[in-house]
Formats: sequence, structure tokens, C-alpha cells
Amino acid sequence: MTMPPIRRRHGAAERSLSRGAGPVAPAKHALTRRSFGALVAATAGAATLSACSPGPRTADPNAPLRIMAINHVWSQAIAEHLPEFEDLVGRRVSMRLLTADQLSNSYNVKLNASATDIDVMMVRALQEQILFTRNGWLADLTDRVEGDAAYDWTDFQEAPRERSVTADKVVSVPIVTERPALYYRKDLLEDFGGAPATLEEMLEISLELADRNNGFFGYVGRGQRSGAVTQWSSFLYSFGGDFTVDGASGIGTPEAIAAYEFYGRLLAETGPPGVTNMSLEQAMPIFAQGKAAFYIDADAIYSNFLDPGISTVIEEVGFAPFPAGPAGSVPHNIPSWSLGINRFSLLQDDAWEFIRWISGPEMVARLQAAGIPGARQSAWDDSATLASFPNDLAESMRINAENGKGTDRPDVIQVGRARDIVGRPLVAGITGAAVPPVAADADAEFADFLIRDNRQREF
Amino acid sequence: MSTVSTVGTTSVPSGTQRPTAAPRRRGKRRLGSWLRGVTITVVCLIVAMPIIWMIAAAFKTNVQVTDPNVGLIFSPTLENFRSAFADGAILGSMLNSLIVGVLSTAISAVLAVPAAWAVGRFSMGRTGSLVLVARIVPAISLLVPWYYLFAQLGLVGSYTVLVLSHMFVAVPLILWIMIGFFEGLPIELEEAARTDGLSAFGSFLRIALPLAAPGTAAAAVLAFIGSWNNFMFALILADEDTMTMPVTLFNFISYASTDWGGLMAAATLMTVPVILAAVFGQRYLVAGLTAGATKG
Repeated sequence: MTMPPIRRRHGAAERSLSRGAGPVAPAKHALTRRSFGALVAATAGAATLSACSPGPRTADPNAPLRIMAINHVWSQAIAEHLPEFEDLVGRRVSMRLLTADQLSNSYNVKLNASATDIDVMMVRALQEQILFTRNGWLADLTDRVEGDAAYDWTDFQEAPRERSVTADKVVSVPIVTERPALYYRKDLLEDFGGAPATLEEMLEISLELADRNNGFFGYVGRGQRSGAVTQWSSFLYSFGGDFTVDGASGIGTPEAIAAYEFYGRLLAETGPPGVTNMSLEQAMPIFAQGKAAFYIDADAIYSNFLDPGISTVIEEVGFAPFPAGPAGSVPHNIPSWSLGINRFSLLQDDAWEFIRWISGPEMVARLQAAGIPGARQSAWDDSATLASFPNDLAESMRINAENGKGTDRPDVIQVGRARDIVGRPLVAGITGAAVPPVAADADAEFADFLIRDNRQREF
Repeated sequence: MSTVSTVGTTSVPSGTQRPTAAPRRRGKRRLGSWLRGVTITVVCLIVAMPIIWMIAAAFKTNVQVTDPNVGLIFSPTLENFRSAFADGAILGSMLNSLIVGVLSTAISAVLAVPAAWAVGRFSMGRTGSLVLVARIVPAISLLVPWYYLFAQLGLVGSYTVLVLSHMFVAVPLILWIMIGFFEGLPIELEEAARTDGLSAFGSFLRIALPLAAPGTAAAAVLAFIGSWNNFMFALILADEDTMTMPVTLFNFISYASTDWGGLMAAATLMTVPVILAAVFGQRYLVAGLTAGATKG
């Protein structure tokens, strides 16, 4: 006797239902596979629709205030003070720390879905504020900041305060500011009379001190196409250029080309190999290892050079203001990180109370005294808040803040794309290619980009 | 007159001392063996280098990690492991990864193994292809609707949502490994069981499933490894209490600096369970992955 083959489409199903070897007549109301599938799909659809129906729009009284922040010294410092705020408002605070890219990705996914589980958002005002405002993700804080005399909105430095405004609305509050610092080796610069005052002097000394065959470099800095743009901005400004001139591309001007060529030569002739792959994470350790005479990067990272776990130049490192170019010393002075409120948050009042508390005059002074440069002028005017910084660093920060411009990248919606375009001649300069033709190409592309970007600016 | 050599006999011509072919062949074999050894060693070193670097860095200070002059000879420190364990986040997230990995793998196996048997035995190719779509669609594109749906259901931040999202990856993986495995099993065994009175499902449960144990183990190990290493779903769908290990690793990377030593210590700890799973499951992995290769 031979069995009917199992590999059959319909017979097999019938057998499995009948639990016997022989074929049986299908039951009158037997559930077919097709109708079973339809039933499952209908059930899933109903569940989805019921899930998507508007839920309760009031916050759970026991829900924590949720802060999403970058893993930054500021976030680590305020974590210690959070119990004070919890006692103040009677609500638990939950803070989640991520890297900058992860934070950005989380916002993009969650706020696209109108998430309510983010209340306070740490944002990069210069990188994503325009996009987030355009998407309607940031709550309008204008009345809150301007209607509170005790908060004293005008106490914030002008440049960071201006960057908090998009489409005529205050949508963020600056909490951490940054300027470029010239980190240099005091022991090596003694014979040259200390830190250079001009970029030309810095180049000359770098050329003299560089011993690249033996692994010592005159200057180390960011060389990555997009990552280098923010630090290069101070070179651009100090050569008299800007990213845009009267709303049009400014990266093809003679000043911009001179800045590209200077920065390229500095890194090409005195910098480490592979510098076009270097951003902060790669360049900083080279100086910390004592393998370079100069390094220019954010002053917020100074503590890395004073940490014995990372640095071998704790005694030798010096801090100086940004050296002057043909147009003087014009560094950036930017709000690197700000706080905003998620427009979909159900705890907007508590979120504002948190921002008001953490960015108020008293707390900013306390944080600045702990080594985190804030944006309030009152804190900068109080010498006690600068006591935690090395003297020469505090002085360079003060001078850079006075001379600084409020942005270090193009002021556009798609900042990442703009940085890619602007960074192209930078890489050409570092690799030894002729800068003017590359800058001309980039200039034309940036001009088109700006036109398209302007069209998208409808809030 | 020329000399004729035949297999099993060797005739040497009188008056001549020409070297025989055997020593030449031995020399060639020795050279080939030597080259093979060198090639295997070089490839193994290249593949193992990141793991060697990771383990070495876990025992270095941050100064040593970033100093290219410090290679594999240095004074080791356990400080990175101490700091990695200090705040408890690593242990908590390892436990979360374990819970999510075990649950998602187990539930996926319960669903996908019978499904694979059905697809393999009853020619449900289209159904199998439909499930495969889940592997084709980029996971990132699903996150916005998933997040919206799960947020409305109040599931964001729970183990449930993490297990469900990981199952989305694990079910097609197990299904497709097991389809090949079941197709490779002799159908006569199940036909004999049916003749003896077992139902179709009974023949699966009592005959096919025990025979497919190596394949099931291999698929489960691969699904568990996939879940253990999954980063994107936990980043968006987990909260502080359910955060898994791959996301927690980023606690060692801050805005202006990276704690390389702590990061590598945590990465080493994260790698250990995967290596153990691979070592203990190796026998099944090889058997499972080659299943069906000689069918027909």
C-alpha cells in the first residue's frame, strides 16, 4: 500500500484537519485558509485603528519629566542637582543621555510620530533648530522668556540669544557656549616668546617645530570634510570672509580662498598623516599625547588636556585667544547646546520650570564655577565663576567671546549637506590640490543649494 | 630506451641517477602545506585583530589606548572593568539584553519552526516569500509607524515592544533556515508515521522536530546573536529601565571625549556571551547551516 504524497496543497490541509489517514468531505462551515487570513487581517486592522485613535491628552500625575540630552559634561553636572529640582516641582525627573547623532535620530523618529514621552529637548541651535522649527517640533518660548523679569532674558549674551530665535520666535534657550581656543605647548614656545598673536606666526612656528618623520607635528586640527567646517569658520572670518555674503554663497570669494589655502597648507605641511579623516575624536588625542605644538578646537574640551587619564601634557599645555588673521581675530562664539520644549509634550509647564531653573542666573553661575561655560553675561562678569578655569584659558575665553560671531556653520535648514559642500575645498587644500577651481565648483553648488534651501523656509 | 614507471613498481635505468618523481611531489606537497599554513595564519590574524585590539584596550589606560607606540606589551589594569561595573548600568542592560534575546528567540522558534515545516512540506512558497519581505524592508523605515502604534498602545519602553520588534527579525531568519532543513529530511519517515496513525501535526511533532534539533539550535543561536547585537530598536523603543547592551555602550562616548578603556571593557563583556553561544552551538551551527545542501 502506498501513502498519498504529503507534498500536496489541498489534500494535506484536509488531512491535518481530519486527523486521519483517509480523505474526508470538507465540513460545511470549515474555515478556509483564505478566510482565516482575512479574519486575521481584519482583527489586526481593527487593533491598529483602535490604537491610533486619539488617546488621553493629559499627563499622568506620576509621569516623570523626561529630558533627552547629549552625554556632555553639562548633563553629567546637572545630574547631581536634579534632586533639588524634583523637590521643587514634586515630580520625578528622568534624563536619557545619548550621543549627538543618536539624539538627532531619536528626535527624528519620535517627533515624526508626535511623541509625548520627550518633554525637554537638548538641541544644537545651529545644526537643527531651523529644521525642527519648520517641522513644528519646538514649542514657542517667546512669552515665557520675555514675560519673566526674574529670569532676565537680556542677561544672555547677544550672539547666543540671537541664535535662539527662528521665524521670529524664541524656540530654545542657550545653556553651553563654545569658542575656539588655541592650545599650545608652553615648553616649546618659550624660545618664540609665547603663544603666537597671528595666524602667520603660528604657521611659521609650526613649520619650524614640525618633525614629521619622527612623529611630531607643528599643528593638528580637524581635517574631515564636514567635521572641519566649524573650526575652519574662525579662519574664514579672520581672513575677512563669510559663508554667505548678502544671502549668496561666499565661499568663492578671494578671502575664503585665502582661508582655504592657509588652512590646507597648515595641515598639509605641518600636520599628521591621514588628517582628512580626522575630526575632534582623532585630532584631540594627538595633542594630548604631546605629539603636536598647536591645536585649535572648542574651549569646552580643555579638561581633556588636564586629565591625567588622557593627557601627557598637563604641565605643558597653554591656552591663548584665536590668533589674528588679515581681518583681525574673529573667532566664533556659539551656543553649542540649547534647551527646547517638545511641542507635543503633556508637561510643558513643568518643562519650562526646569529650563527656567537650570538656565537661571544662579544655576548658570554655579555650573560655570564648575567649569561649564554658560551664556549669561552676569556669570562671565563674576570673576568667581571663572576661578575653576586656568587663568590663561579664562582670559582667552573672555577675549574670544568679545570678538566672536554667533555662528560657525552655514545658517540653513540642511546644515549637514551645506557642510559637505563647504568642506570640499578644505580637503583639496589639505591634499595639496589647487584650491581655486575646487572652490569655484563648490561656490556654484553652494549658490544653487542656498536658493533651494530658501524656498523650503516656509514656517 | 626510455624508462617506464608504473604504479607500485619503480625501475631505475642502469647507468643513470635521475631523481625520481616522488621526492619532487613530496617537496611540492610540503611547499603547498607551508603556504596553506601561512595563508590561514595571516587570514586568522587579520580577522582576529579587531578582537585582539578590543581585549588589549580593555586592559589599558586611555593614554595607552591612544598611544600608537603602546602595542600588546604594557602593564595591564582592571580599572576599566571596575568603572564599567561601577554604576550598575552595564549589568542591568546585560540582563535586559538577555531577557529580550531569550524571549524573542524562544517565541520566534515556537512560531517559525512549525511554520517552516508547513512551508517546506506543503509547498507554501509564496507564504515563505511573504515572510521574507520582513527581512528585505529596512528596519529604520518601520520605526516611525511602530513607534506611533506602540506609543498609542502604551507599550514603548516595555520588554513587550522590544521582544516583538526583535521577533520581526528573528522569525524570518529561523523560518528560512528551517525550511531548508525540513526539505532535507527524508519524507518517507513522516509517511511511515502517518501510516502508523499519526496525524500530520503529530508526525511533525514526534518525527520531524526531533530530527531537526540541530537546525533549530543553529537558527536559535543566530537569532539570539542578532537580538543581542540589535541597536536601532532599543535606541528608539526602550527606556532607561529596559535599555539593552548595544545602546548602553554609548554611555562611554561623550561630546568631547571617549572613554576608550571603559568602552572596550564593556564591549569585551558584551562579546563574551556571543562567543560562548557560538562555541557551544558550533556543532549545531555547522550541521544546521549545511542542512539541505545535499538534498535530492
